[in-house]
This record gives sequence, structure tokens and C-alpha cells, in this order.
Amino acid sequence: MTFVQKTHLHYQLLALTGEVDLHNSPQVRKQLLAIVESGNSVIVDFSSLSYIDSSGIATLVETYNLAKNKQLSLTIVGARGAPLQVLELTNLNKVFPMKDSLDEIKA
Amino acid sequence: MKRILYVEHSACTSQLCQIRDKVRAACQSLAYTDSDINLITLVIDEACTNIIRYAYSGESGRIVLEIFQHEGEAIFHLQDFAKCIDKSCLELRKESLLEPGGLGLQLIYKVMDFVQLLPPKESVGNILELKKYLPKGSQK
Repeated sequence: MTFVQKTHLHYQLLALTGEVDLHNSPQVRKQLLAIVESGNSVIVDFSSLSYIDSSGIATLVETYNLAKNKQLSLTIVGARGAPLQVLELTNLNKVFPMKDSLDEIKA
Repeated sequence: MKRILYVEHSACTSQLCQIRDKVRAACQSLAYTDSDINLITLVIDEACTNIIRYAYSGESGRIVLEIFQHEGEAIFHLQDFAKCIDKSCLELRKESLLEPGGLGLQLIYKVMDFVQLLPPKESVGNILELKKYLPKGSQK
């Protein structure tokens, strides 16, 4: 699993590649929480993500709750395949704002 | 009962990726759809994660995964050699998904058709048995 962080409009975008599991989700957690703690809304780009387990999902939930408390947002972009199935199975696709592509996110 | 897979790994998070690859390959041989393969792989990963986190609690140990095909079902046995856990550990809690904990177990119950703890061999450890119906028309 690798990730790249960059600025997109007024958001911080974290693009995840590969598989997120218990082995590497602490890295993702640290990065996501740091983004929100520093006062930024976050977009998590799932376009190149092929797998995410419950520890990764728990990280998203924790970040979402923190962002909400700070009047910020967490948006997921480009989820498909196995990661989308996990979000649907947990009904979290109805909790997190979901977009098909970055083009759908406006300033 | 036909054994499809036997693998033994150290109970270490770095092994999860290899275990997932082996589960995917085994499920492909059982003619599951891509969607089912994704979900079954997730569930086995979650079960292994629970063994690493809770059964071994960070101590070193082994995980044995066996997959069998039997009368229209795939049967998954996950064995650890940690302290025996109570059956109540498999009970679902009714917390919101937005609360921490228990998500892996919820996924296991949602995906699998049957979940139970078996008596351990040699009175040590735990064996989690999971069953999933095979796709219709795939049984020979």
C-alpha cells in the first residue's frame, strides 16, 4: 500500500494505492487524522485501491467523526470493486459522501 | 470432504496479504463469482486479523487455514494455538458502525452462511468454522 497526499481545491486529497489491511492501516490513520487535526477537509481517493479491511474502514469512520466535530468533511472518491463492496455491506456508502470522480467535487 | 487448501502462516500482520492471495485462488477454483471472492477473502482476512489482535494479543503464534468442499458448501477452518476463547466472543454487539469495535465480526456474519467455534484438536487453541454455499451449478 502506498499513498500520496496533495492539495485539490481547498481540500487535502489522500490517494491510496494497493491494499489497506491491519498491517498498514495505522499509517493511513496517522495521515488522515493529521490532515483533519490541521483543519483541512479531506478527500480519500479510492481509484487505485483494490482492497480495504475493517481496520481501514474503522480509520475512515474515526476520521469522519473527527472531521464532523470540527465542521470539516471526509469525502470518498472513485470507490469500486472490493472496497465499494465493503462500504455497501456496512452501509457506510450512505454515511460518507461518495463521488465517482474528482470532477464532481466543486470548490 | 475434499480439501482444497491447507496453509500455515505465522500470526503476523505482514502475512495477511499472502493469505488473501491464497484464499482468492482457492475460491476461484470453487467457481465463486468475483463479488463472492472479494467478500470471502475479506471475511477470512477479518478472522485472521481477530486471531492476531485478540487470540494472540500481539504474542507470536501460528494460524492454520484449511478450505474444504463438501456437499454444496465451502468450509473454512481457521485454527490458532492461543488460549481457548469463550463462545460469547462470537456474539454480535449492537453498536452503531460509527462506534469502534466489532466491525470485523459483523462482516463475517453478513457474508458467511454458517459460523461456529469447533472444539480444538489436542485441547489447545481455537478452530473457527465458516461455511458458504457454493454457487449453483458449480457442484460436481
